[in-house]
Amino acid sequence: MTKTKSDTLQGTLVLLVLKSLERGPMHGWGITLHIQRISGEVLRVEEGSLYPALHRMEQERWISSAWGVSENNRRARFYRLTALGRKQLNAERENWRKITSAVALVLDFEEA
Amino acid sequence: MAWYSRMRALLGREKLAREVDEELEFHLAMREQCNVEQGVPPKEAHREARVRFGNPNVWRERVSEIDLMTFPQTVWQDLRYGARMLRRNIGFTLVAVLALALGIGVNTVAFTAYKAFFSRPLDARDAKRMVNIALLPRSGPAEAFFSYPDYLAYRDQLHSMSGVIAQATDIESLPISGVGDTASQRDAATGTIIGRLGLLPSGASNKEFAETMIVSENYFSVLGVAPLRGRSFDAMTPSELAAAPSVLISENYWRRRFGGDPALLGKTIGLNGVAFTIIGITPRNFTGTTVGVPDFWVPLTLKPLLHADDHSQRDREAPYCRVFGRLAPGVTIDQAQAEVNLLADRLRALHDPHSDWAKPETALVWPGSPFPLPLDQGQFAPVRYAVLLIMLAVGMVLVIACANVASLQLARATSRQRELSMRLSLGASRMRIVRQLLTESALLGLLAGAVGLLSSWLLTKGTAVMAAKIFPTEYGTVIFRVTPDLATFAYVFGLSMIASLLFGLAPALESSRSAFATALKGNQGTPSGRSRRLRDLFIAGQVAVSLALMIAGGMLIHSSLHALKVDTGYEIKHLVNLNLSFPEGPQYTAERKGAMVRQLRSRVAALPGVTAITSAFAPVLSGRSADVSLNGELPSAQKSRAALSFTYVGKNYFATVGIPILSGHSFQAQSDGSGAPVVLSEAAVQQLWPGRSPIGRSLRLNTDRQFHSKTDLLPDGPVYQVIGVARDTHGASLDGSDSAIIYMTMPEGRLQDYPILIRTQSDPKQLFAAINQVAESIDPALIVSSFAMEELLHQSAIFFLPSFAAAVATPVGLIGLLLASMGIYGTVSYIVLLRTREVGIRMALGAKKRDVLALMLREVARPVLAGLLVGLILAVGCSYLLRGVLNGLSPVDSVSFAGIPLLFLAIALVASWLPSRRAMRVDPVVALRCE
Repeated sequence: MTKTKSDTLQGTLVLLVLKSLERGPMHGWGITLHIQRISGEVLRVEEGSLYPALHRMEQERWISSAWGVSENNRRARFYRLTALGRKQLNAERENWRKITSAVALVLDFEEA
Repeated sequence: MAWYSRMRALLGREKLAREVDEELEFHLAMREQCNVEQGVPPKEAHREARVRFGNPNVWRERVSEIDLMTFPQTVWQDLRYGARMLRRNIGFTLVAVLALALGIGVNTVAFTAYKAFFSRPLDARDAKRMVNIALLPRSGPAEAFFSYPDYLAYRDQLHSMSGVIAQATDIESLPISGVGDTASQRDAATGTIIGRLGLLPSGASNKEFAETMIVSENYFSVLGVAPLRGRSFDAMTPSELAAAPSVLISENYWRRRFGGDPALLGKTIGLNGVAFTIIGITPRNFTGTTVGVPDFWVPLTLKPLLHADDHSQRDREAPYCRVFGRLAPGVTIDQAQAEVNLLADRLRALHDPHSDWAKPETALVWPGSPFPLPLDQGQFAPVRYAVLLIMLAVGMVLVIACANVASLQLARATSRQRELSMRLSLGASRMRIVRQLLTESALLGLLAGAVGLLSSWLLTKGTAVMAAKIFPTEYGTVIFRVTPDLATFAYVFGLSMIASLLFGLAPALESSRSAFATALKGNQGTPSGRSRRLRDLFIAGQVAVSLALMIAGGMLIHSSLHALKVDTGYEIKHLVNLNLSFPEGPQYTAERKGAMVRQLRSRVAALPGVTAITSAFAPVLSGRSADVSLNGELPSAQKSRAALSFTYVGKNYFATVGIPILSGHSFQAQSDGSGAPVVLSEAAVQQLWPGRSPIGRSLRLNTDRQFHSKTDLLPDGPVYQVIGVARDTHGASLDGSDSAIIYMTMPEGRLQDYPILIRTQSDPKQLFAAINQVAESIDPALIVSSFAMEELLHQSAIFFLPSFAAAVATPVGLIGLLLASMGIYGTVSYIVLLRTREVGIRMALGAKKRDVLALMLREVARPVLAGLLVGLILAVGCSYLLRGVLNGLSPVDSVSFAGIPLLFLAIALVASWLPSRRAMRVDPVVALRCE
């Protein structure tokens, strides 16, 4: 069974969210926008799975949340990266790097 | 911790639901706004936002799923997964469970035995309310015994107790008559295992004995035990009892001796010559306030009847009663202790001011136990020491078992790397993996704990039943209760959990770490350097600990064998010890007794095979000691040269016992000197006049400082002259401190107070029957019992302690050895499995079978050798701990320290060689192909 696009994204969702929060706290909507924009509209976060993922990440203590006021004066829940989350981010990045370089090696292999 | 927030989420679901909704609303609103900004009409924007989001209910459900199900579901998942993994590798599971069960089982046996011996309550209804009473003086050992008048005071004046009972100190062996065939019981005893091991005095007596316990009249009612049949003496007043002396018989003795004869109730028997009526039968295996079941129970008021010469009942200073009480309802132990304190103070005023009883003491009231004093009292230090050693030994076995399984786990984990790293990449955290592995370990531990508990219960039950049969019944049947109870279950469970942690944690951490590091690497052949080091550490640890255990066991065995061969310094074979026990009563005056002894001696001396006869205590027993002074003055506490043992012996003692006189002469051919003659042993001379001849010198003795009873013969007073020096004897005390002895001549009028020693040319046992006949013909009421001197020696502490210790240490050590060899075998097997490909390559490249074997052996050689070294060091430490029981053996006993490591090395080699054979048979082609 081939991996669908959403599957791939699911596996890396955690990585992307962690990275997004690296520079500062954001609410869920902000994360969605950020990923979409920075990737040039290629990566679209499936909103139905973002919040469950955020919830799980919060339980793993990778992020913490607090209610605050959004930029348009509405009450929103902001998520922040914790120290543990930072470590997890680095680990996931490293993992990602290894996977992708391995894939690249296989793809670049040419019969001599 | 993550679970904490989950718990919180579970509990605050209302609040969570509201927050979740609010967050959802915010997101939808923002999306809607974004759509509008992009030019979508508002209604469309609103709808699109929701469509894009998907079903919010699904979303809400998933969030709460994460909370609800994650925590419990994970643990349950772990358990099911763990069980599956264990079932798949059934070989590993069986070996691991077996090893752990051995370790846990051994510990459980020790724990159960400890409880059966030391924590046993009294055999009573509602035993928790029973207490023991004792007195603690300011200095010196605790007093557990009271006099009869004092007991009566406690019985009548304590309000915090609803009943106070007493038990006379010892079970007495009383001759029983009027019961038909008086077969010698000791002949039957020799058939049992203990008899055959020579651990019993299998001498013979001319009378049959019954074990009698003397207890207060209210004994059974306070303990809450009703007789099986008939009645007890509760309802009878002392005058009624005096008019119709009654006893109770135990059900055990009733069945064993009288075959359960129902006509026995109401029959009259004779105990020590006094007629008693059997009025009741106590329940089977009822032990009351002791650990064994006596044959008869006699009321305390009838004690003077049994022993006509004994006036201690009226003597306030004569302690012989152990006192127990039942707490009144609602009274605590502390309250009772306070009241006992007050009463003890009042009683002290009634005592003779010079006696020990006038010293200030505090009361000690503690939960009922057959032991006279709580174990934390100073006198029991050797017992606590022994218990500590045993606990240490079985603890070490558990450690070995854990190291064993840990190394197996580690070896197995390297083959699970692929599975673990796949889980990691699927999103599991490392902690999750560790938790999973620990759950598997916990499963193993619990399984092993159950197996260990079951097998140890069966073992201890079997042993208890056997023990009741092994010990001859004339010593009273000792009852052990070894059924597992709540405390045992808790102990085993705790032990299993600790063991699981011990053997599971390191491999779990290690393999999760390496799995993480090698997330998608394909090869699973060579484990990381760190896990190899861990594995080596486990092997070395197992080898070290089990080697130490085995060496300790070996030393103990050697020491007990050594004790058997100890040169006693005299001729111990063919020497018989004859004990006399005169009937009581006014007609047996000292003169009459003396005449009987002289008659006995001359008639026994005429028996065939007897070559010499004398009167004295056996050399095996320690004598009394006295202060010695050499300057003609009576020695005092400050001015004494030494404190030496002394003993009175008959004239031809040295010839009879076979102790050579090294200089001077013995009592037989003595010249009348100015002082009373004494003979010294070599060690005594060493202490008094080192390096010089003592012949002709004089000394004086004083026994004020030492313990003696009122009727002892005392050497105080006269000036003694040394006439000879005898060879040292050994055998009574462990450290040879009893070798310095002063021998004195026995006055004629005291012959009857001492045993008779007989030297014979024939087998001592043949003499016993003849001696009995002689005694019978002189006076049928005279009781004699004969022992061979050799067997007396076997019972002394010097022989018994090391044999007992050896008997415990050997199976423990063997189990440790078994576990360590299993560990080595298992590890090498896994190494072989893991390196099959490498072996195939080597063989394809030209390696021979020999090289492959060497390769495998090298793997384990280093940790095994390191373990042996550490084990030797540990063993030296153990021998230091054991020095108390090693009597005379050098702390670095060469046989044990050289022989056992070699044995171990050999076993390790075999354990490594067996699985390596598989490696040698590898077909290179197959090996290279398999992955």
